Amino acid sequence: MADTELLVGLGAVLYAAGLVGVMVRRNALVMLMCMELMLNGVNLTLVTFARQTGATEGAVLVFLVFVVAAAEVAIAIPILLLLARARRTLDVEAYAELKG
Amino acid sequence: MTHPLLLIVLLPLFGFLVNGLVGGRAGPRFVSVVGCGFPIAAFAVTVKCFLDLSAGGAPIVDPVYTWAAFDGHSFEVAFAFDRLAAVMTLIVTGVGSLIHVYSIGYMKDDRGYARYFAYLNVFLFFMLMLVLGKSLLILFVGWEGVGLASYLLIGFWFEDADKARAGKKAFITNRVGDAGFLLGMFVLYQAVGTLDMGTINAAFASATPPAVSATLVGILLFIGATGKSAQIPLHVWLPDAMAGPTPVSALIHAATMVTAGVYMTARMSAIYLAAPEASQVIAVVGVATAFFAATIAMVQTDIKKVLAYSTISQLGLMFVAIGVGAYGVAIFHLYTHAFFKACLFLGAGSVIHALGGEQDIRKMGGLARRIPVTFVTFAVATAAIAGIPPLAGFFSKDEILWFALASDRGGSTALFAAASLTALLTAFYMFRLLWLTFFGASRMDAKTEHHVHESPPSMTGVLVVLAIGSAIGGFVAIPHYLEPLLPLPAVQSAMAHFEHPVVYLSVALGFIGLAAAAYFFGGGGTRGDGLRARFAGLHRVLSGKYFVDEAYDALLARPLTWVSERVFLGLGDRMLLDGTLHGLTGFARRTAGVLARVQTGNLQFYLFLAVLGLVAALGWSWQHG
Amino acid sequence: MIETGLMYFFAAVALGGSIAMLIARHPMRVALALITTMLSLAGIYALLGVHVLAVFQVLIYVGAVMVFMVYVILLIDVRDSAFAQRFSWLLVPGIAGFVGLAAILCFALWRGDSAPGSAAAPPFGVRPFSEVFLNEYWLYFELVSVLLVAAVVAAIAVVKIGTRRHG
Repeated sequence: MADTELLVGLGAVLYAAGLVGVMVRRNALVMLMCMELMLNGVNLTLVTFARQTGATEGAVLVFLVFVVAAAEVAIAIPILLLLARARRTLDVEAYAELKG
Repeated sequence: MTHPLLLIVLLPLFGFLVNGLVGGRAGPRFVSVVGCGFPIAAFAVTVKCFLDLSAGGAPIVDPVYTWAAFDGHSFEVAFAFDRLAAVMTLIVTGVGSLIHVYSIGYMKDDRGYARYFAYLNVFLFFMLMLVLGKSLLILFVGWEGVGLASYLLIGFWFEDADKARAGKKAFITNRVGDAGFLLGMFVLYQAVGTLDMGTINAAFASATPPAVSATLVGILLFIGATGKSAQIPLHVWLPDAMAGPTPVSALIHAATMVTAGVYMTARMSAIYLAAPEASQVIAVVGVATAFFAATIAMVQTDIKKVLAYSTISQLGLMFVAIGVGAYGVAIFHLYTHAFFKACLFLGAGSVIHALGGEQDIRKMGGLARRIPVTFVTFAVATAAIAGIPPLAGFFSKDEILWFALASDRGGSTALFAAASLTALLTAFYMFRLLWLTFFGASRMDAKTEHHVHESPPSMTGVLVVLAIGSAIGGFVAIPHYLEPLLPLPAVQSAMAHFEHPVVYLSVALGFIGLAAAAYFFGGGGTRGDGLRARFAGLHRVLSGKYFVDEAYDALLARPLTWVSERVFLGLGDRMLLDGTLHGLTGFARRTAGVLARVQTGNLQFYLFLAVLGLVAALGWSWQHG
Repeated sequence: MIETGLMYFFAAVALGGSIAMLIARHPMRVALALITTMLSLAGIYALLGVHVLAVFQVLIYVGAVMVFMVYVILLIDVRDSAFAQRFSWLLVPGIAGFVGLAAILCFALWRGDSAPGSAAAPPFGVRPFSEVFLNEYWLYFELVSVLLVAAVVAAIAVVKIGTRRHG
């Protein structure tokens, strides 16, 4: 169905947008949120294909992605906060210590 | 005994191994017993072989193993014992053992006692390999080996830089000669197809000689002999080699190693018989060296240097005999020379030992009463070298003079005149040495004078044996013994009736030399000083050894050093090699510097690169998939 | 008919939300845009008949993750240099990358073979879903629980580091 193409295309665009957002934005929290956007794009494609082939596995996988994303955010935010407190800024340009 | 010759060769090697490995810890008595025991055992086996040879008549051949065999070429390790080898081996082991015994007393207090005997034994091993070898290959191994042993022993007290340098000079000068020797061997192998000396001699003596210039081969082999036997132009190492311990000088640089050149040319006699030009060259070089060295010996002030130049001179005379085809006579002189020269050197060692290290004859004198045994043996040996009958030297020298004049293979009056003049000078400078060292008022300083004492019996005993050998050795008719192997040349018919006058002349020369020396150097020795003052310029040239060393330095050493430094070091090593390396590293460093700019530490930049990679990978896979 | 219309609507909203995310200056606005996108995605899932996932999307993603994010944004001083300067120096290359990546993904998509037709009755109800999940994929369920435990432990550890550093 044409929907498949649309949805997969949308998923691709969301993914690309998330990726670009990580690259382009300077605020660390915004970068995190763009990574969530990437995950959502992937989820969308997964669901679409699962729906298309009728495989329940796809849905299971999406659920697992939810859980993992939640765990990831639970860790990433505290780490980011510590880093931000150490550098006194959320600007990722200040985090370039592994230079050279 | 199945391999007697191999046993003779290997016995000193065992001595070397034992003394070299455990001698340092085993103590001097052990070292002395091992160090002298093995050479004496080798001498005993040699005597047995000699008796077998005399009884049987056929040469003993001892094939050991085949070193290499391929493609129709075969190189054997084998030893052969014929009359010539018998004479040489008896001299080497006999005189060698005596010198080993002498060394016990002489080197008693030296720190490197075990090392000394180890080196001495390894020298003996190589020398025996040289004289017993059946092919030029084995001879050459021994040749090189004695050169090595000589280097080790000359530079024995290597902490002294000058002595170490003398060792180096000896080895390098030898190597120059060896280049000629090697070339000669290559040509021989190419022409004859084997290095076996018997086969080569047979090939050259046969009716169809090999298709190679015998003169070329002869000259090439002789170049090797000039290096080893210290003839012009490669004689420069022998005087410097006196830096080694005196027994070493006696063994290596008087009795055995330096005679290897004479032995080798005598052994390859068939080549020289087929090459009259080469023989002429040998005779001329020999007599020139003999004369030249004798003139230098006249003004030397170090007791060992006089004897060194004397050795060079006597070797020259041996080559004169080789050059005129009297090979057996050359070996005869080699034999007598071994006795009296070893006795002279060991006597000098005894004097040096008595004086606590003094070697300058201007600081000696009046020793005859105080070290009587040394004096008597030294005097006997001096008379022998001067050619006073009936001592050994007279017989051999007289034969050389006779054949220099009358041999139909190159004898001439010019050669005879030069050789006779050399004989005169020999007598003169040797008696000068005797007078200045032992007679007259003592010119020693007080401390040395107190120290003067006769040497221990291990040293004086050997001196007595060698003096006896110098006295009666001449009665052994070596040329006659070697006649089947090395036939004596025929005598020119015109000269035939000069035989007895030559004998009288050579006796006269000996006594004239004695008288002249006594005149100039006896009493106060002031007349000798007067002579020096009158011929000051000549004296300077002779003292400077005709400035040959300086000439070599200027012509060869300095340009070579310049080339090494400027071209090879400056250009080759620094610019090319170092430059390439530095260039490569510099290139690597610069490239790394450029590439390291990728690592900005900026996460977003890395992500960007990842995206680029991802796009490229996806594109490529979808292009090709 | 309505379904298709709704589909397009939700798709448009999702797209708009994502663009807004990229452009908005204040992180709170970014968060809200993301929430919008997620909600519209939930709607898409529901339209596709996978109600389980739609609900979980809202519950977990929006309800937990985004709430957490919003909470953090509220607590932090966001007016720093990243507020003044939104974009890093990779803006232009980034946009080029975006265009390239999106293009290549879409190109692959539209060039690709179409998958076989869908099943008659989509087995995405709660019951079939949970049966499959807890029967066949029980291992991954357990692993994921372990992961969550690990996350809790890690979070506590990070907090401890934080408190240790500052008294």
